Amino acid sequence: MNLPAVVDDLRRIVGRDAVLDRPEDMMLYEYDAGVRRSTPGAVVFPQTAEQVSEIMRTASAAHIPVVARGAGTGLSSGAISHAGGIVVAFARMNRILEVDVENLRAVVQPGVVNQQLSEYVSHLGLYYAPDPSSQKACTIGGNVAENSGGPHTLLHGVTVNHVTGVEVVLPNGEIVHFGGKAAESYGYDLTGFFVGSEGTIAIATAITVKLLRKPEAVATLLAIFESVDDAARTVAEITAEGITPAALEMLDGWTLRQVEAYCHAGYPLDAGAVLLIELEGLREAVDEQAVAVRGVCLLQKARDVHRAKNEEERALLWKGRKTAFAAVGRVSPSYYTQDGVVPRSKIPAVLQHIGEVSKKYDLIIGNVFHAGDGNLHPLILFDNRDAAQFERVMAASSDILQYCIDVGGTITGEHGVGLEKRDAMPLLFTEEDLAIMTDLRNVFNGHEVLNPGKMLPTPRMCREIAGRSRNAVLAQEGL
Amino acid sequence: MSTATTPMRFTRELREMCGADYVIEDPARLQPAQILGVTPAVAVEPASAEEIAAVLRFANERDLTVVPAGGFTQQQAGNTPAPIDVLLYTTRLTEVEHYDPGDLTIGIGAGCRVAELSAKVAADGLLFAGDAPLPERATIGGLLATGITGPLRHGYGGLRDYCIGVRFVTGDGRKGKGGGRVVKNVAGFDLMKLLIGSQGRLAIITGASFKLFPAPRQTSTFIAEFATAAEAIQYRNTVLRSPLSPICLELVSPQAEALLPGAERSGKGWSLYLRATGSDAVLARYRSELGAAISREVDGQNEAELWRALQNFSSTLPERSAGSVLISLSLPLADVLPVLNELESVAASDHLAYAVAGAVGVGRLLVGLWPAGQQANLSDAVSAFRERLPRDASAKILHCPQELRRQVAAWAKTPTDFESMKAVKPALDGKDILNRGRFLF
Repeated sequence: MNLPAVVDDLRRIVGRDAVLDRPEDMMLYEYDAGVRRSTPGAVVFPQTAEQVSEIMRTASAAHIPVVARGAGTGLSSGAISHAGGIVVAFARMNRILEVDVENLRAVVQPGVVNQQLSEYVSHLGLYYAPDPSSQKACTIGGNVAENSGGPHTLLHGVTVNHVTGVEVVLPNGEIVHFGGKAAESYGYDLTGFFVGSEGTIAIATAITVKLLRKPEAVATLLAIFESVDDAARTVAEITAEGITPAALEMLDGWTLRQVEAYCHAGYPLDAGAVLLIELEGLREAVDEQAVAVRGVCLLQKARDVHRAKNEEERALLWKGRKTAFAAVGRVSPSYYTQDGVVPRSKIPAVLQHIGEVSKKYDLIIGNVFHAGDGNLHPLILFDNRDAAQFERVMAASSDILQYCIDVGGTITGEHGVGLEKRDAMPLLFTEEDLAIMTDLRNVFNGHEVLNPGKMLPTPRMCREIAGRSRNAVLAQEGL
Repeated sequence: MSTATTPMRFTRELREMCGADYVIEDPARLQPAQILGVTPAVAVEPASAEEIAAVLRFANERDLTVVPAGGFTQQQAGNTPAPIDVLLYTTRLTEVEHYDPGDLTIGIGAGCRVAELSAKVAADGLLFAGDAPLPERATIGGLLATGITGPLRHGYGGLRDYCIGVRFVTGDGRKGKGGGRVVKNVAGFDLMKLLIGSQGRLAIITGASFKLFPAPRQTSTFIAEFATAAEAIQYRNTVLRSPLSPICLELVSPQAEALLPGAERSGKGWSLYLRATGSDAVLARYRSELGAAISREVDGQNEAELWRALQNFSSTLPERSAGSVLISLSLPLADVLPVLNELESVAASDHLAYAVAGAVGVGRLLVGLWPAGQQANLSDAVSAFRERLPRDASAKILHCPQELRRQVAAWAKTPTDFESMKAVKPALDGKDILNRGRFLF
């Protein structure tokens, strides 16, 4: 590999101003929203699929690893470069190419910011449904790579349910199209297979997404509980009523107090937990469901159920939820976020377990999560100057993940595997399962030019990790 | 390559793997299991994924072709198969792998019949949204492998939206899985997507997990009739732009309506069948919102029968008219009317009759074409129709008279990602033993 020569080639492809390789510039690209760092050799900003294709051809020929990057908001270190590798950053491919109202589709470049798409089509009464909490910054390309979720996925599904077609560049530079504007295309669903592949099989250069019509009515309820346990039981009771809310979020007492101090969303400071419940649809249906949900909450010992009176109140309640991570960031030097999922009926039990883990490892753990989906986000607080404490954080985190798996759940609901949970994959999948996935990756990315070392553990690694620290293995791999 | 005339040389091993009672060699029992005129040499009924893996590893060693089978409701789709050495039924894999109604999920063996699964969860007030045709026969494995959907596709999404986990054995005999049993899960590749609609070309599905939905407590069906397809589609657009969210929105052409049960029908117009769910107040809102366009409203037993008939439309049509070609289409919404216009013009110039039904709010259409006179030219018409399909359309033939097979390829347009699809196959079935020759390539 000869990076300087490749950088010259990259400049020829995209222009001099669209390639960075000075060390001080690289520092900005050595991390995402996860906890790991690795310094790339160059960052390149393409503007067309053809340029991405040439970049891939060049990198493949020189055997230099490539990772695609949107806004770097990912939480699983998926956008971290291989040391000395090339980051393909999509900041300049941020155009909405087409809004097709008749077909309820939009075609966007990968660098389009999630929320901007909804804002762009808002005057047509339309929106793009997947809404990760980072939607003000995160890009649709990144969402596609990670198959991102968000609070409203309870009713509407995650990113893959909203992508019907992609234009991608394969590691060999070929530009191919999977799917299109139809809801389904016959043959293998490579669109669906590509979404959530974490940048390990191809790079998207255009994405066809569904646009939904905005609901006629929305009701946002804040249910206030004395205990986490009461709130947790309410989650299952609401669905037992035959109601599927658009969103059903929980914040525990500790977390809501941090949120309240940060942005005054109107959460009661003395509550044990709150549920943020959103219903949407036909006015008549929403009003009936709001009454029913209120009844369920009160039956489960809710102290009060408050319905947002207007859009302003609604926005404030959601601001509290969506800025919860930031609020926690204010009171702790660092925190580690988990993304495990449990079957809905296991929510009370898993929250109890997290409480015990908190005591056992002497750590503060806040809970703010997508309760309706059973998708947990325990925030484990720590001070990154305290190495011993960090070890406890990792142990507590493994303990929680193992519990999720034991009750039939999974290790990640929406943040992706990346580097963070790669070594936990064998807890879920057999060696044969992983070999099948590796074979499928190799169909497209056999030389591992794209995002090497992410998501799928190598058999060698599985064995070595047993004997050595994970960081040592990662360091040896250049990650 | 083996032929159907020498089965004895491998049945002994199959008996060891599956048990003698579960290896079928009797020609009288094999004959009904023929696929487009090709009779399998032997059929097996393994009891588990392990047994299926053993059969497939053995088939790889001996270079035997294997065709997976469930309820045999969709086997006549696709191209004529290569000689079939082993027909492999998954119908003994019926175990409930996980089910807690509070989770709104279920995991089930691939051999479970669709109607059994639906009935099981209905007892707990839940809905399984996979309303495949002939649900009493169709199996979960077949449903997934063919990617077939019914009228509920409109309101609950496709299989790709609510299948959350899959267990399978690859063509090369490896047991694998994707997803899991929780509704949100991004660990590893989404192998559900890869296998749904893969027509048994990559792997044999042994089990799957699904999201379930609260069952509607009350429904009503509103029927609007129009003189032309154009007016019906215009009304579809009005419904899609409205705040209403029906669970079904089905287009029914005049000839298709004649195939449905029920009371007074003119059989002259194009109809939209809209099924709504909700309280009395919600249904009243539908009534007022839909307005004068509604000519009939059906509920109760009649409504259930009506939707069962629409669910079974793809099997009813070939039964009534064996000489018909049945095409399944998936289209962008705006392409539906141009495609219906093409159909009209092709049918007129080639002396054919046609019937159309489908979840038109999501671009799904089933099109049946059959001769309506001496000068009818069905194969030219089908070829012409498919050639004129718009860019993002995809089509497959679900039924075709035997004499037309040679002229009519089962798959319409070559998908843009054809080469990528081709590249995937050897990763899971290197010797091309699964469903050889039948689908795509």
